[in-house]
Amino acid sequence: MIHFHPDDNLLTEYSAGALDRGLAIAVKAHLSLCPQCRTKLSQLNLIGSAMLESETTVDDDNAASFAALMKRIHTLPTASSDARSDEDAEVDSAKHVKSKRFPPVVSKLLDNTGELRWKAISPSLRQANLQSGQDKYEVCLHKIRKGGRVVEHDHHGQEVTLILEGAFSDEQGTYRAGDFLVREPGEVHRPTATQDQDCLCLTVVAAPVRVKGLLGMFVNPFIRFQPG
Amino acid sequence: MKDTTPGTKDSTRHWSQLLEAVGQHQDEQAFARLHAHFRPLIRNFLIANGGALSVDTTEELVQEIMTKVWLKAHSYDSSKAAASTWIFTLTRNARIDFLRKHARQDARTEALTTEDIWDEDDTHQPFVYLHQHRAQQQVHSLLTDLPAEQRQCLAKVYMEGKSHSEIAEELKLPLGTVKSRVRLGIKRLQATLEVR
Repeated sequence: MIHFHPDDNLLTEYSAGALDRGLAIAVKAHLSLCPQCRTKLSQLNLIGSAMLESETTVDDDNAASFAALMKRIHTLPTASSDARSDEDAEVDSAKHVKSKRFPPVVSKLLDNTGELRWKAISPSLRQANLQSGQDKYEVCLHKIRKGGRVVEHDHHGQEVTLILEGAFSDEQGTYRAGDFLVREPGEVHRPTATQDQDCLCLTVVAAPVRVKGLLGMFVNPFIRFQPG
Repeated sequence: MKDTTPGTKDSTRHWSQLLEAVGQHQDEQAFARLHAHFRPLIRNFLIANGGALSVDTTEELVQEIMTKVWLKAHSYDSSKAAASTWIFTLTRNARIDFLRKHARQDARTEALTTEDIWDEDDTHQPFVYLHQHRAQQQVHSLLTDLPAEQRQCLAKVYMEGKSHSEIAEELKLPLGTVKSRVRLGIKRLQATLEVR
């Protein structure tokens, strides 16, 4: 049973396509695990369709554009291109049975990343980056050793965590597979994995703002004196 | 089931049946009627995007979306989603894709397609939404009944594709205010759909 979900605001932004791609990956992964949020999403999508239908206008050159559209459709390579991509998808998923227990979006990121390079953040916490091609958010896996306690830390940027396996708890509760958590910058917490198994999480975290070392420190004070 | 006046429950059903006809037997006449109805709606919806899309781009996107409607219609199931909901998700994804391609971000390094992250249809849903068509009408009238400031925020999220913080900045409102306006609107929606 999943107890922690994306809130209505986040789901609304997702439904509208207004959510940053990095965060949307985490929401999508949660949706794959959570029928309750899928139902909510269907309801939210109704808003989009009502908005789409909200204004009626006269179409000036409908016939011409329809002719152009059909010409385009009839010159497409094959009409069955869609069916073919379905087959590809099946072969693909059969090939990667090992990652099948994860939400499809996570499996695909794992496939794309290839070998995971785990690095130790602390004795009980390891991290492996996933290649997502995002620039605003880092997408990675975190593994907390069973019974392991992560040192108290705060967040420099917004962090979204989706539990994939196992469970951990912190001051505010216990989180299990499928649970979706948002931590805002500055929130301090100290997660501890449960004793029975390692806890694996998908984490999407706002990429740190790059401070350009000495040059940045040197230049920044002068910027305000620039004319204009 | 005879009336197809815009905005009625039967018209919702009407478009969904036409879309099924396209999916099941590549019915070009049905497609022509869908095109005549949805092309101006999709165009308006995209134009609302804060003028970010040029006229040519908008036309190109509409063509792209209608092409997708044709190609993917076979996977459409009218018992699970109204035609307009299905077309909304295609439109939304086309817009996401377009904006991504034109962002400074290099799309080639992307592991995931837009469809990996945003489903283009609800047909994978584990439940059957028996009241889909009625729900559609309820949402329609709910939107017109909402307090103006809630409707405005929802319109900015859906039609302009703006995040809450972008809306807050634009309207010079605290982020919390935007969030609560959206949330109140959504709560009304959920209450409407649950009381059947």
